[in-house]
Amino acid sequence: MNEVHLKSKIIPTWCPGCQDFVIYASLQQAIINQKIDLKDLVIVYDIGCIGNMADFLKVFGVHSLHGRCVPIAVGIKLARPELKVVVVGGDGGVYGEGLSHLIAAARLNLDITVLVANNQLYSLTTGQTSPTTPKGVKTKSTPNGVESVPVEPEGLIRAVNDEAWVKHVSCQKPSEVTTAIEAALKHHGFDLLDIDQLCVSFGKQLL
Amino acid sequence: MKRITVKIAGPAGMGIKSAGLLLAKIVTEAGYYFADYSEYPSLIRGGHNTYQITISSEEVYMVDREADLLVALAPGHEEDGKNLLEIPLPTMTMQLGGQIYANTISIGAICCILGLSREKAIKIVAGYYGDDPKNPEAFEIGWGWASANSNKTEIDKVKDNEDKESIMDGNEAFGWGLVKGGCNFFAAYPMTPATGMLHFLAKNQDRFKMTVVHPEDEIAVANEATGASIAGASAAVATSGGGFALMNEAVSFGGMIGAGVVYFVGQRPGPATGMPTWTVQGDLLYAVFSGHGEFTKIVLAPGDTSECLKTGREAMNLANKYDVPVIVLSDKLLCEGSKNISDPEKEETIIIKSKKIIPGKGIHLYNSYEHDEEGFSTEEADAAKSGVEKRLKKAKEILKYEDNFFKLYGQISASNLLVSWGSTKGVILEAIRDNNDFAYLQIKMLWPLNNKIEKIINSFKTKILVENNATAQLGRLLKSEFKIEFDKTILKYDGRPFFPNELKEELKIQNPSVLRTSPLEERET
Repeated sequence: MNEVHLKSKIIPTWCPGCQDFVIYASLQQAIINQKIDLKDLVIVYDIGCIGNMADFLKVFGVHSLHGRCVPIAVGIKLARPELKVVVVGGDGGVYGEGLSHLIAAARLNLDITVLVANNQLYSLTTGQTSPTTPKGVKTKSTPNGVESVPVEPEGLIRAVNDEAWVKHVSCQKPSEVTTAIEAALKHHGFDLLDIDQLCVSFGKQLL
Repeated sequence: MKRITVKIAGPAGMGIKSAGLLLAKIVTEAGYYFADYSEYPSLIRGGHNTYQITISSEEVYMVDREADLLVALAPGHEEDGKNLLEIPLPTMTMQLGGQIYANTISIGAICCILGLSREKAIKIVAGYYGDDPKNPEAFEIGWGWASANSNKTEIDKVKDNEDKESIMDGNEAFGWGLVKGGCNFFAAYPMTPATGMLHFLAKNQDRFKMTVVHPEDEIAVANEATGASIAGASAAVATSGGGFALMNEAVSFGGMIGAGVVYFVGQRPGPATGMPTWTVQGDLLYAVFSGHGEFTKIVLAPGDTSECLKTGREAMNLANKYDVPVIVLSDKLLCEGSKNISDPEKEETIIIKSKKIIPGKGIHLYNSYEHDEEGFSTEEADAAKSGVEKRLKKAKEILKYEDNFFKLYGQISASNLLVSWGSTKGVILEAIRDNNDFAYLQIKMLWPLNNKIEKIINSFKTKILVENNATAQLGRLLKSEFKIEFDKTILKYDGRPFFPNELKEELKIQNPSVLRTSPLEERET
């Protein structure tokens, strides 16, 4: 098995320089390194820039609804416990629209791997505030600055279930992303990998 | 008497329904038929709760409203006092050491009045409440009081109820139906009146080899079931209108990707929280048009407890055969009302498996975006058009192959045709029992609508629509699809079901009705 087999017929449509490419490459490398049989693998994607990876990988996939990647993955895992179920979503879908689902899956400590591309923005909708945008940052939907404090995913999930595996990495260090995804795939039980990234098109105010 | 209706009233917490179901068990084992109905407010203690049961030597399609025997378990629950059994319950319960025995004392009195076998009844009472010896004693006290103070009101001679000895409500019957259709994944969030199905399946999940879960909300319920379906499971959920509202996005998703899930919706009066413990048929149009976008779905409605069982099996199989969402509409009357039916365990298991690609059996992308054959996203005009057409084509196949989801009762020569769907079947069959002037068409598949229905309805001179809602929702569907106009529309929307005498009055049928020689018969067309 090599990388070629995981890529689909569709060429990625992310912006030039987007760090989603880092996650895309790291996930493929991690699947190869961990020798995961494609027959056992299901990837569930949320809606958003990172969710568009659904079209760029040739694996058994579900491009679900915004915020619902986790319950779709939970249903698959409960029905077929032998499958390796990976979730790929962004901070909007997983920490916003679907946060209650993330908490429920962490409480259940179900053996799924949740990868969150956290760019602190809704980017596919051209740059509005997300649950992880720092307080005070101006976005298209908060021109006077965000009034809420941001969600802190690591602390939140640890508070929910201290047995859950939670880690934070940055796309600034691609090799660490690959290593962390591999560790998450190896871990039995719920795991959340929060992957920090920067939106090159709408995130300049976050620098 | 031909049939007898017993009503038990009292505050919540006094075991009104459990006593009622005890009586149901006793009369069922004695060979009678019954149907029951209960009214209760949405609270745990207090309020005015009633359980009424109509017992007969012939099948009971719907309980009567007027009670021949009324029992009040506590003061203040005597209603209008008509046919009240004045059992001195406070003195008797004091003697037994608690007012919780008022219900069993009353059952003892009722059994005596109905002329049932004391020995057989005692045996059932002893087994019904575990090993508390005071219940048989309470039963004896009630029996003794009635034999000294009341006249007997026996029901006509017992016909054998043909082994219809399994007592269950619509929730449990539908749960059994799911089992018999191969369902192996069930998710639900509690919501009256469908909660009983979650309890039944959760309790029996090991026996049925079914994964049963109660997730964080109805959104998760519907999405987990959709995920399970994608993974190859036969998945079903149960809820009421408000919960189904939260599930609509997943209904649309299932329609887009071709993952069948059964959505059981036990209707209760809305909008919003409405009246949780009461009945209505208010969500037909909502079910038919649920989920955004244009796609094929199936909407079914069982008419009675036995049909709940069969519909559970059919719904599961249709979901897998056509890979579409299947919505099943029931209501509080049917969900929580019990009848005696044939042993569900003996019902045939029929399993149709989905042919869709599942994990381990190939690579596919189940994509909520418009997509090509492999599942990859597309926004090309031709591909978009063919995607829409592929989803809508399923409706044509369903109309072609599933063309028997309706039933005509009575004579084709009758001058009047009643048309309804769902639980109103029972009251209609009661109202037109032994009456050849009326026929009845029950529509079991409400969407897509088969045009055979149009032909049947139009072959009758007078067409009458009966619906337990305010806006004649089936009437609207039939008008828009087939331009059918009804001569009379009978509606009720106060949270209560139609009762037989009420409907007879609407239909101007004299009571007792003119008895004709040929009995009401089921006729397949």
